Amino acid sequence: MATQYDIPVGAQHISLLEPLHFKFTTENEKIIKTEANVGYVHRGIEQACCSKFKFRQVSFVVGRVCGLCSISHTTCYSQVAEKLMQLDISKKAKYLRMLVIELDRIHSHLLCLSHVAENSGFEALFMKTMAYREFSMEMLEAVCGNRIQYDFSIVGGVTRDLRTDVAKMVLEKLKIFKPQLDELVDIYSNNYTLGLKNKGVGVINKDDVYTLSAVGPFARAAGIPIDVRNETEDILPWKEVGFEVVTETTGDVYARNLVRLKELYVSMRIIENVINGLPEGELAVDFKGFPTGEAINRLEAPRGELFYYAKGNKTQILERLKIKAPTFSNVAAMVHGFSGNEYASAPAIIGSYDPCLSCTSR
Amino acid sequence: MKSFFDAIGNLFKKPVTTQFPVQPTYLPDDYRGLIVFEESLCIWCRKCEMACPPGAIVFSQDIETGKQEYHYSPYVCIYCKECVRACPAPGALLQSAEPGHPGLKEQNVNNGWNQLFDESLESRAAYTAEKKRKQAEEKVAADKAKAEAVAKAAETAKQNPGPSDE
Repeated sequence: MATQYDIPVGAQHISLLEPLHFKFTTENEKIIKTEANVGYVHRGIEQACCSKFKFRQVSFVVGRVCGLCSISHTTCYSQVAEKLMQLDISKKAKYLRMLVIELDRIHSHLLCLSHVAENSGFEALFMKTMAYREFSMEMLEAVCGNRIQYDFSIVGGVTRDLRTDVAKMVLEKLKIFKPQLDELVDIYSNNYTLGLKNKGVGVINKDDVYTLSAVGPFARAAGIPIDVRNETEDILPWKEVGFEVVTETTGDVYARNLVRLKELYVSMRIIENVINGLPEGELAVDFKGFPTGEAINRLEAPRGELFYYAKGNKTQILERLKIKAPTFSNVAAMVHGFSGNEYASAPAIIGSYDPCLSCTSR
Repeated sequence: MKSFFDAIGNLFKKPVTTQFPVQPTYLPDDYRGLIVFEESLCIWCRKCEMACPPGAIVFSQDIETGKQEYHYSPYVCIYCKECVRACPAPGALLQSAEPGHPGLKEQNVNNGWNQLFDESLESRAAYTAEKKRKQAEEKVAADKAKAEAVAKAAETAKQNPGPSDE
């Protein structure tokens, strides 16, 4: 038996975006065992939501759980609170929520793709992807009034209307972005050196994904068509605006890249359909009273299924709020995916998982 | 190979980046910025203070006159516009497109604001207590005056008995 070495990566490491600790046990540069610690950014947000903040203010607090999927958290909480209050929001608010969620998905997926390129040693592609990502940030700024913290959904609706000139600008920018995305797809799928680092690396097959209950682009890359947008039609009308599931079969880093890139086409189509078919209606519903009972809600964040549970007790402050982020579901499959790979490809695999630790440990 | 030729071609293209301080970056005209307060239109209902998620608005109260004063911390504010939506007086609170400024250490933005917040709440509690005390005093005085008046009336009735008694 060859000598085994333990190599720690993180919690502070050059290839990690967020504090995440891996301990790799390697043998001749092959990873044979991995341990993960994901709890470095615990901030006690759930407790704060149940003690310090009123239930209407909580949608602004949960937006601060994660910078990348801020709108997913805010919308998911707003929906669960609307279920507690038994509110029926207007179709326009639903459409505007879908618009911002999809704009957010574009910027989040491009960020992940750029980091896969960087961690695979392709810095020029990293810069190119980041440069193309900038349009989505500007569009979010124009639609929501801020680049990162959108604060767009509130309990009962949305905060801002979509101005006609902004809508026109979004459509124009999407037209510019489409050839850029085609170019990115070409590079990510055909570049030889990137293929060496990505094809057949970090493979998780369909059975493993199923038994380890992974979600999001991670599961879709292995061939499981799991997507909340495909399952829940009553909360947000996804199929009406042209949603369809994207899957790949191989389950490696390359397949994850392609799933994310193809989802961008779907997102662009949804944004175009939302803007062209935006119905009339009020932005937010006025309501009185306090939340009672229990409710759950699911939403497809850029990284997978986001789950919220809330319990009210007829007061301003919620009794319990539980957040389960997509990365939390993926941790088991993440750890499994390293086995049998070279240690040198570990950064690219971590990048392709797109882990969001702020969401996971709240 | 295509990437190689692309890379060579990029040498002769214009840079993608913008020259930031010289060329301004994109800023939408309805950017979510600082909150502006118009004192003459305010009806002093304190709904904005109750709605504000981070607690960036607080009202203090003068113990003598009962006049309220509006305090706002642009460093604590998250520019979410909840106060503007909660405000029943149109125009009293508005959101400007001016971005917030970074707080400096000398300005003591965190501790200073926390202190001001606590002091404001204390001033309001003190005003309420003072008001209650004054009301109680007035009530005691009024009761005393009433009792005195009743006693005086009884005395006068005693001294000058009515004609019906005779």
